[in-house]
Amino acid sequence: MDTGYAELFCFSNFTFLTGASHPHELAERALELGYSAIAITDACSVAGIPRAWAALKDSPVKLITGSWFELDNAPTDSAVPRFILLAKDRQGYGQLCKLITTGRRRAEKGQYQLFTRDIETHELDHCFCLWLPPSQESATFSETLACGEWLLRLFEPRLRIAANRTLEVGEEQQLAQIRDLADHLRIPVVATGEVHMHSRERQPLQDVLTALRHHTTLENAGRCLFQNGERYLRPLPVLQKLFPENWLRETIQIANACEFEPGSLRYEYPPDLVPTDETPAGLLKRLTHEGERRRYPNGTPLKVQALIRKELGLISEMQYEHYFLTIHDIVAFARSQGILCQGRGSAANSAVCYCLGITEVNPAKVELLFERFISKDRDEPPDIDVDFEHQRREEVIQYIYQRYGRERAALAATVIRYRPRSAIRDVGKALGFDAALVEKLLDGIDWRDQSTNWRQQILDKGLTRNPQVANQFFTLVNTLLGFPRHLSQHVGGFVISAGPLSELVPVENAAMQDRTVIQWDKDDLESLGLMKVDVLALGMLTAIRKALELISTVKGTPFTIQDIPQEDPDTYAMLQKGDSIGVFQVESRAQINMLPRLKPETYYDLVIEVAIVRPGPIQGDMVHPYLRRKHGLEPVEFPSDAIRQVLERTLGVPIFQEQVIKLAMVAAGFSAGEADKLRLAMAAWKSHGDLTPFRDKLINGMLERGHDPEFADRLYQQICGFGGYGFPESHAASFALLVYVSAWIKRHHPAAFYCALLNSQPMGFYSPSQLVQDARRHDVTVLPPDVNFSHWEHSLEGPNQHLRLGLRIVQGLSRQGGQCVHENRPTQGYRSASELRTSAGLNQRDMELLAGANAMAGFTSDRHQAYWQLLDYEEPSALFAQEAEADYQPQPCGQLPQPSEGQNVLADYRSQGLTLQRHPLALLREQGHLQHCLTAEQLKTTRPGIPVQVAGLVTGRQRPGSAAGVTFVTLEDETGNVNVVVWLATARQQRKPLLTARLLHVKGVIEKEGEIVHVMAGKLSDLSHLINSLPVNSRDFH
Amino acid sequence: MIVDGTGQAIMQACPAARELGIEAGMRLKTALGLAPNLHIMQADPKQEAWLLEDQARWLYHYAAHITLASPDGLWAEVSSLQKLYGGLPAIWQTVEQALTERQLTAWIAIGHTPLAARLLALTGKGECTANKNHILAALGNLPLQAAGFDKKPCTRLQRLGLNTLGDVFALPAPELARRLSPELLSTVQKIQGTRSDPKTPWQPPHIFRQRADFIQEVEHTQGLLFSLQRILSELEEDLCWRQQDTDTLLLALQHRHQEPTRFQIRTTGPEHRADGFLKLIRLKLDQQPLSSPVIALSLTVKRFTGREAPTGQDLLGETQDLNEAWHTLISRLQARLGDQALKQLSPSNDHRPECAWSAKEVRKPSKRKAAEPNLLPHRPLWLLKGPKSLDQMPTHWHSGPERISSGWWDGQRVHRDYYIAQLPGGEVAWVFRDHQDGWFIHGWFG
Repeated sequence: MDTGYAELFCFSNFTFLTGASHPHELAERALELGYSAIAITDACSVAGIPRAWAALKDSPVKLITGSWFELDNAPTDSAVPRFILLAKDRQGYGQLCKLITTGRRRAEKGQYQLFTRDIETHELDHCFCLWLPPSQESATFSETLACGEWLLRLFEPRLRIAANRTLEVGEEQQLAQIRDLADHLRIPVVATGEVHMHSRERQPLQDVLTALRHHTTLENAGRCLFQNGERYLRPLPVLQKLFPENWLRETIQIANACEFEPGSLRYEYPPDLVPTDETPAGLLKRLTHEGERRRYPNGTPLKVQALIRKELGLISEMQYEHYFLTIHDIVAFARSQGILCQGRGSAANSAVCYCLGITEVNPAKVELLFERFISKDRDEPPDIDVDFEHQRREEVIQYIYQRYGRERAALAATVIRYRPRSAIRDVGKALGFDAALVEKLLDGIDWRDQSTNWRQQILDKGLTRNPQVANQFFTLVNTLLGFPRHLSQHVGGFVISAGPLSELVPVENAAMQDRTVIQWDKDDLESLGLMKVDVLALGMLTAIRKALELISTVKGTPFTIQDIPQEDPDTYAMLQKGDSIGVFQVESRAQINMLPRLKPETYYDLVIEVAIVRPGPIQGDMVHPYLRRKHGLEPVEFPSDAIRQVLERTLGVPIFQEQVIKLAMVAAGFSAGEADKLRLAMAAWKSHGDLTPFRDKLINGMLERGHDPEFADRLYQQICGFGGYGFPESHAASFALLVYVSAWIKRHHPAAFYCALLNSQPMGFYSPSQLVQDARRHDVTVLPPDVNFSHWEHSLEGPNQHLRLGLRIVQGLSRQGGQCVHENRPTQGYRSASELRTSAGLNQRDMELLAGANAMAGFTSDRHQAYWQLLDYEEPSALFAQEAEADYQPQPCGQLPQPSEGQNVLADYRSQGLTLQRHPLALLREQGHLQHCLTAEQLKTTRPGIPVQVAGLVTGRQRPGSAAGVTFVTLEDETGNVNVVVWLATARQQRKPLLTARLLHVKGVIEKEGEIVHVMAGKLSDLSHLINSLPVNSRDFH
Repeated sequence: MIVDGTGQAIMQACPAARELGIEAGMRLKTALGLAPNLHIMQADPKQEAWLLEDQARWLYHYAAHITLASPDGLWAEVSSLQKLYGGLPAIWQTVEQALTERQLTAWIAIGHTPLAARLLALTGKGECTANKNHILAALGNLPLQAAGFDKKPCTRLQRLGLNTLGDVFALPAPELARRLSPELLSTVQKIQGTRSDPKTPWQPPHIFRQRADFIQEVEHTQGLLFSLQRILSELEEDLCWRQQDTDTLLLALQHRHQEPTRFQIRTTGPEHRADGFLKLIRLKLDQQPLSSPVIALSLTVKRFTGREAPTGQDLLGETQDLNEAWHTLISRLQARLGDQALKQLSPSNDHRPECAWSAKEVRKPSKRKAAEPNLLPHRPLWLLKGPKSLDQMPTHWHSGPERISSGWWDGQRVHRDYYIAQLPGGEVAWVFRDHQDGWFIHGWFG
């Protein structure tokens, strides 16, 4: 008789270094084999549940939520209990989560620790317990029996004995013992598979993981490995042969009794925000109308009024009020603290969010349709990310913890997965490969070269002489890719709940102190329909806030983002020149090159600019068509009216992620559900997803609807390109606003702009040195750090707005020391090093750093003498302190050389990473080292196509993923930056200068496209040695 | 190319690697980026020390006062040798020649102080002169980084704008001590020679070597024993005095016309007793009769081991006796049968029956605990050398199947179901079925 089977004991790969299959693989295999149910029972974890659930949604196989535990101690005279708990219902699930939370919160990150008293004190009356009796080698029968009796006391009548059949040595005795125990305790036995993998083929990988877990190699792992590969999901006929029928029947009975369904988890919004006498909808409406009056003091435009009505209706229909209220609360807190923030994402750029102050994108100015962002068809939560100033985001996080309590708020997890490097390293380790050789292999592999013959590489590099092992290696690495390694904290995704969070999902410790994460990541939350609030950090917001403060000081009245005039032609003119260093999002080299081609004239052009320099549009070859159409070189056509609706704003070229999804629906006939799956697959494509299943459907669908094959293929390419790098319009719209704001500040208040940027470091693409040089090119006077003028932060000085570098530029200087210099400065300034030392209370280290920075120019002749003075210092004894002070008269040392200009330049670089004196390249040129080399400035007026020589400090080497094999090198000289393009063949031949030179000389050919100048590199030479010859003054040559 | 212990940084690169831009101090990653096909070796400080000592040994032939400048240099005091060799150039030449003969590359330098000589040698600026002013001038030109100062004072000196060792020499000594550090001044003065820098002379390591010359040629082994006995008791005395043991004796028998016959006699454990050695030597000589008459013999001992406190001795001293008896037995068996003939059985940690045991060289009984018997699986005492095909199906199955599937990583994958079964003849066999449904006998139970 066919009783069926439910597997109640499965480790997925979320039991790290133990399980050798993904949860979805286990789920899918159970479906294939015709199991009635499958339980995922990871070690003290439910991290694998959402993925298994997603795989089994709408299938006849039931998913049971459970977890495996091994306690850290044993009841008196008993063996250590090892067991599985299965959630019977929602309540049981909550109990399980609570127990897991207890065990995880107590231990270090990644570990758990549970004691017998935890099991005795936690309520677990809605869970089944499957006991795994110890083997006869590890415990006596009486100890084992005592363990069973202890569990029986706690779990009767929900205790079962789990029996595995793994065909290993000693199994017959173990089965006999289990029968004895069942007789003694009068509890039923249930068949389990102790599953570690979905298929027997995973045995090698399981062995590898086991060896890694034991920090050994396969060869030395010996009996740590399993004796065979029987811990897989076995076909029903095999199971029927192995187990008595009643043991199998018991699995079904338990499965039937487990009614908990992960899909039934519903987010319960924290009710805190709504006063008792108000409804959520009422409150949201009130807040929106209050905001409306603030935003539109002269009356809300009719169009916006209609929009707000529509949006509020949709929100209340979907019951999303709490979500908007929660975000509003956080944003309102930030506002009250003067922390700049900006929302983005679907739903963020709506009229309601504008009124609530969540975003600054004005719906009256931009046509963004809220409907697109909240979809009635798809029952998924709206998504709003809020960026905060990076230096003050912690305050916001602390506010959330304080408002909702640590019981109810935690960060989402990020699952850290195996990537090629880590997979190769670990598999190599397990196979006993020489670690140095593995590193060699890793460095030798061109990751983007798909044709890399791994097998040959492995044999060539001498990792192994056995070709079979080389084959295995490849398979193992490929299988291991994408396996979870550990849970880390999400950058800012908070989950906030009404009741204790630990009853919704287990909470564990993160690496960072006082941070806790839940066991699910953002995809899991999304697939279960749970809501999270993204609290992100953005450096540019810090810089903008600081710049606005500086401008306010100058103007004498508060100056805010709202005071910035819109659509300022000067600002766009600046951007069109590619003059965008420091400007948000458009300061990268690729963006700087794009700006003069795209020539943004309006806010919406910026939205496109932000999104177009991305792998998606580039790989989908969307950039050139768009540019041609924008400049009227190509007609704008739409294959159909439906497509016109989607693509009109971008001139018929899909650029945003939303457009691609929408196109799949409109042009290829995807249903909303299918499109949603496509979106998820796109997001996951890079790590483990596969888009090929969609390819045929997409292309056929488009051909059927009469689109031409080329268009269809291009759209597919773009979808592939979007994988992992997708850039949605909803985000671009918010970013573009910050692009405009930062560009406006740069154009009209350059001193404040650079000062604020420097004070917000580290952030952005450029080093302080590059920013300072750019500032000087924009006629900002920059003054050196000086103990008599500088603050800790950089500041603006005098009516002419000179940018005075702050003491924070001095590398290694303590913040406290730097602040004391400013705070304790006498009105007439410091007059000697000893006065500085005593008044500011500086230690020797800080004193030396200040001398090295030449920040004592007021009272020392040069940095060498300043330093010499400092070295003669002993802690004065308290009694003579005053006296010694007065007596001290510094004597200059005649033997010390005066610093040469070159020495000063090098010392500046060492101490501050930048110099305000002449650029080193100017000195070298003067010394006659760089004959025939053109400067960046000269290149601009040089005819393209001719051979040139250039030299400069290497400030960047980039190998962008979208340009196959090309290395972009940025050289800096006294007049600006030179862009050098090195093709793969050139790079290979001249690795040494390319990779190691700090000062590089390039012979090549100049190329121009519009105002963009490149040098295509031929011969590279390393001139780094010249840097050390800088101190030699030209006058030293006789 | 040689990397440091952690395998992160490069310590030395061969000329071919330097050609590719690889330098000492570079990170291994960078180096591999430059030249993916590098041959990498790990540095071994022990080996280095040993090699340095080796060089000291031959240099000792030429100079009496030698000091090791670890890890990479040797000092020889040469001023007292000028007369003997006929001037500095002659000494220089002698050393250079000795280096060439040994195919060694080295940088020679002469200095009026040990540090001066070392710095000049390290920078390859050595010259054959004892002129102090000349040497000081050469030192003065060295860049600061080459002066071997600690990192911190070196950075400080650089911050003062000083570039060469000469700039440091120019600073007033008291200021140097006060503003930088007394240690720095001391180093500077040791370089200059205004402060003494005594070095402990190197002593060649001790070896035991005794020789006996025979007035009459000895034709039989027996004739050697008397002298051997004498030498061995001297060795025993020497060992007792040093509180050391040895496990290797080198015996050389000199012949009039032929190359000497050499024996290496090894004991199984540390040994110091003369009669213990003698027994072993006699066994060796019995095995190999003299090829021609012997005119002299020499016995050399180079390996010495410290004596450990007796271990595991109970009150009656029994354990040690047993151990000693065990030692003696093994030594004798090995001497008689050859080292290779003697093996020791031990369990190996592997699921595959073929790999679950090993026969290795006899080792000293270790303190490590053997695997507990009850953790070892149930296996037949007699495991066949290889599986034998099973001709007749068993009459009775005692247990099974036990599935063993393991060993994919070394190309000897095993996938079998084992049973304990009674064959028609009544024997109890360990049989298995492989993945192709073939049946085999793999062992017998008693």
